[in-house]
Amino acid sequence: MFESPRWVRISALVAGVALMLLVPFYADTFWMQAGLFAIAAAIGAIGLNLLTGATGQLSLGHAFFLAVGAYGYVYFASESDNHFVGLGLPTPVAAILAVLLAGLVGGIFSPIAGRLKGTYLGIATLALIFIGQHILSNAESVTGSHNGRQVPPLDLGFLVFDDSPELVVANVPLGAFERLWFLALILLVISAWVARGVLRGRPGRALNTIRDHEIAAGVMGVPVARYRAAVFVLSSMYAGLAGVILALVFRQTVPDYFGIILALDYLAMIVIGGLGTVAGAMIGAVFITLLPQVLTRYSDGLPLVAAPGSGGFSPAEAARIIYGAAVVAVVLFLPGGLFGMWTRIRLAVAARRHRAV
Amino acid sequence: MKLNIRMSAAVLAVLLAAATGCSDKATGGSGGTGKDGVKHGPGVTDTTIKLGVITDLTGPYAPLGKGLTQAEQLYVEEINKAGGICGRKLELVVRDAGYDVQKSMSAYSELQGSTLAIPQLIGSHVASALKTRINSDKVLTIPMAWSNTLLGSEYLQITGPTYDVDMINGIDWLVKTGAVKKGGTLGHIYFDNDYGASALLGTKYAADKHGLKVVEQKIKPTDTDLTNQAGALAKQKVDGILLSVGPAQSASAAGVARVAGFKGPILGSNSAYAKQLLATKAKPALLQGFYIATAGIPIQEDLPALKKIRDGYAAKFPGQPQDSAVVTGYSSGEIIGNAIKKACASKDLTREGLIKAHRSTNAFDNGQGGTLDFTYFDKPPTLQTFIVQPDEQAISGTKIVQNRTESELVKGYKVPLA
Amino acid sequence: MTKFIELVVNGLSVGSVYALIALGFVIIFKATEVVNFAHASLLLVGGYITAVFHDDIGFLPALAAGMLTAAVVGMLVEFLVLRRGRTSDHGVLAIVTIGVDILLTTELVRRIGTDVLDLGDPWGSQSVTFAGITIPQTRIAALLVATVLITAFLLAFRYTTWGVAMRAAAEDSETASLMGIKLSRVSLGAWAVAGALAAVAALFLTVFPTPGLDRNTSLVALKAFPAAILGGLDSTTGALVGGLIVGLTESLATGYQDQLHFLGHGLSGVAPYVVMVLILLARPAGLFGTRELTRV
Repeated sequence: MFESPRWVRISALVAGVALMLLVPFYADTFWMQAGLFAIAAAIGAIGLNLLTGATGQLSLGHAFFLAVGAYGYVYFASESDNHFVGLGLPTPVAAILAVLLAGLVGGIFSPIAGRLKGTYLGIATLALIFIGQHILSNAESVTGSHNGRQVPPLDLGFLVFDDSPELVVANVPLGAFERLWFLALILLVISAWVARGVLRGRPGRALNTIRDHEIAAGVMGVPVARYRAAVFVLSSMYAGLAGVILALVFRQTVPDYFGIILALDYLAMIVIGGLGTVAGAMIGAVFITLLPQVLTRYSDGLPLVAAPGSGGFSPAEAARIIYGAAVVAVVLFLPGGLFGMWTRIRLAVAARRHRAV
Repeated sequence: MKLNIRMSAAVLAVLLAAATGCSDKATGGSGGTGKDGVKHGPGVTDTTIKLGVITDLTGPYAPLGKGLTQAEQLYVEEINKAGGICGRKLELVVRDAGYDVQKSMSAYSELQGSTLAIPQLIGSHVASALKTRINSDKVLTIPMAWSNTLLGSEYLQITGPTYDVDMINGIDWLVKTGAVKKGGTLGHIYFDNDYGASALLGTKYAADKHGLKVVEQKIKPTDTDLTNQAGALAKQKVDGILLSVGPAQSASAAGVARVAGFKGPILGSNSAYAKQLLATKAKPALLQGFYIATAGIPIQEDLPALKKIRDGYAAKFPGQPQDSAVVTGYSSGEIIGNAIKKACASKDLTREGLIKAHRSTNAFDNGQGGTLDFTYFDKPPTLQTFIVQPDEQAISGTKIVQNRTESELVKGYKVPLA
Repeated sequence: MTKFIELVVNGLSVGSVYALIALGFVIIFKATEVVNFAHASLLLVGGYITAVFHDDIGFLPALAAGMLTAAVVGMLVEFLVLRRGRTSDHGVLAIVTIGVDILLTTELVRRIGTDVLDLGDPWGSQSVTFAGITIPQTRIAALLVATVLITAFLLAFRYTTWGVAMRAAAEDSETASLMGIKLSRVSLGAWAVAGALAAVAALFLTVFPTPGLDRNTSLVALKAFPAAILGGLDSTTGALVGGLIVGLTESLATGYQDQLHFLGHGLSGVAPYVVMVLILLARPAGLFGTRELTRV
């Protein structure tokens, strides 16, 4: 009702996109990497939001599907040698297969998910994390165990997402991170667009009804079990895609990363951002990913200068404290998450302007 | 109109962002040549040389990280007091990654553009994850882990023998002292990571050569109750127990084994002991029949180089434990310092110049008794191991039982590369 | 055979400690319907206070202090944080407890630092041997104390006014409140009891054969989750049984890991979760949990 005119919104969008496209020409390696982590997290968070925010299926196992995507890509794309096995497929094919694999695994788990409700489902998905860690550290020839495996860079023929065949645009050398940035952005836009389409259409309404009044949904003719399974598969595919991007950024997959802390991080992302919305998921992902990076980068790098045992906080500890406090504060005081707050501010500003007119 | 304000704000934001975010990416970063004709690499200016440290001050390896980092700070302070190297002051850029891979990668991304070398990197899985980038960025890095998986890369320099070499030397010592005889059995409890895997390689080799059997017990780094594992080994009446685990697990295993009636020797890898353990209930089990195979010389030994470190550290960090991390940290500073000095003599403080200088050192001697050979990287720079024992009175918490030795057994051993 | 018996006794003893943690978890859930992810930090607080004070005031007073502190912290969390939650969506409140857990754990770990703290228990590394089986005294003490506490609690739950009030509130909070039961008192009580139980659990998790309390101790509390779930989140009996099952599974998996070698190494970490999933497949609300009946 109090939205700004269409052309203003479009120009803001265009400016935003332009800004995003300019980043690789100015940001240093640290920010490129942080940004890529944030974009991958955003894609994963959008998927988790479809599952938990929209459909009410609490999942603590999202990090598992990220691992499936990452390790799947490495397995499909690497050649076999005397240490590891791999299928040696062309890397774009491997990437697509990895995403499909994540979806498949999600599909296999979904009947179990279908039988469980609420917290029971949450902790059962937590089991996936532990099972995943167990497999990752034991299946050495596939996963490389704790040291992980090298990730083959994505090769599209005309463009390799690596540092070596040099690519210079506008006098700026574009390395692997810069090239991945553009790819990741495109994937993020597509992911967000698809998710939005799902949520705004009939499937979205069906999912919300399943979340809020499952029996009523069933009575009304919504194929509840099929939808719950389908959203599990879709959400796992999003996680798989995020995992592939992360693998390409890390250049070496390590099992430690895909543990319980990451799982809880994703949950925090969608709640802090705003449950149920795509924009919320993205905002939450960016916030949760960048906050610790910013804190550790810009606080003093020599925390031991103070006498030991004194009341000082090291940057890493300060980062955790602020993160925990942010989770508590946002959930308690901003029920719609950060996106909800943004929407309220926007509407309040627009409303005041309207009244003044 | 109000709408124009919004438009202009958006455009302004873009311009601002474009202007403020501007780094010198378009021109290719730091470099060039200094006033004294010395070529500069990243992190080098006419007045400073920046060195990066990726450490753990808040995670599971915090005790190690703290000792290493503080010792490196001591080294840098002393060097700068004496005028620096190449007329430039050294500066440490410390980043705490808490043993977390993502944080370590972020720290590396930041440091790779702004520092010349990395004298400390904690986490062998982190080092493995970063290996490709370290090689392509040509950053001389000292990982603080001694697994054989870190060999084979020109830019990774470990500063002592690998865990398998230590184990071989240690088992050889056990056999020589008669504690373990041919035909006997050794029980090895080890971590499920490349620390444990590396040590196990050594055990298997030594056992094979000495005609010993090996019983393996793999545990996760998060297990702290070793009742089942140590109890099982005691029940099987093994002749010796080997521990390639963390300090907490060693305390648990030693305690359980002794209570279960195990009377043989217990030998740990260098990461299996920490001085703090002597303040816990595990003390009695650690003071009797518990030994550690390590490359690090205990800091209380009577050498002028060590006295210098002791006094300097006590002055700068009074009351803090002076354990093996302090010696290792200080030495890592000296190793990089040595490379910088040599590179300066060739007027080349680029990354290429630094690695060339470093790899030309075949007998690095910092007064601690042994020498390190950096000209090759497919094996450790030395094959000598100390056997030490926990000691309450000693400053480092350990005292020497057998001085540095390269056993005959290990001479024939080829350390497997990753 | 002796190996098996030792493994079983060990497993039951560790399991009874898990049951203490799981019981606290279930009490909170029953009273407030919140899944408490901050339980690990309650455990750590209790253990830390005991460790810090046992030198000055003796073991038992220090333990009491630890239990009291954990109880108070639990009540504070309930009062300051959860009650203010504007949303009544319990899933979201659970996330708040994640945040609280991060806050508390970070601060405690910062204080513990790199030390390994002794809690001053009187049993040390002494053991009891009979019929060829050696069992540490600490394990026997754990089993006994846990049994006493759990029995006391179950009796209180059944026969005291407070217990009845809590059961009523868990059954139907609206009606209970209409009947004059102060829901706020019930939830405060629940969090306090959970904290106290966690403090006792902390003691038994850090005695022989572990060297003491250190920064990783809180991770052990995580094992109570599968215990509480497979027993049924709203069943106190379930928590007990669940804890024992998890303890036994862990112990047997570690003891027989050679024979189970084909399933990979490090089985003891993942085995409880696998058992939990298997049980959930057969009983989706846990062994003793009540299956949700929804009104249409």
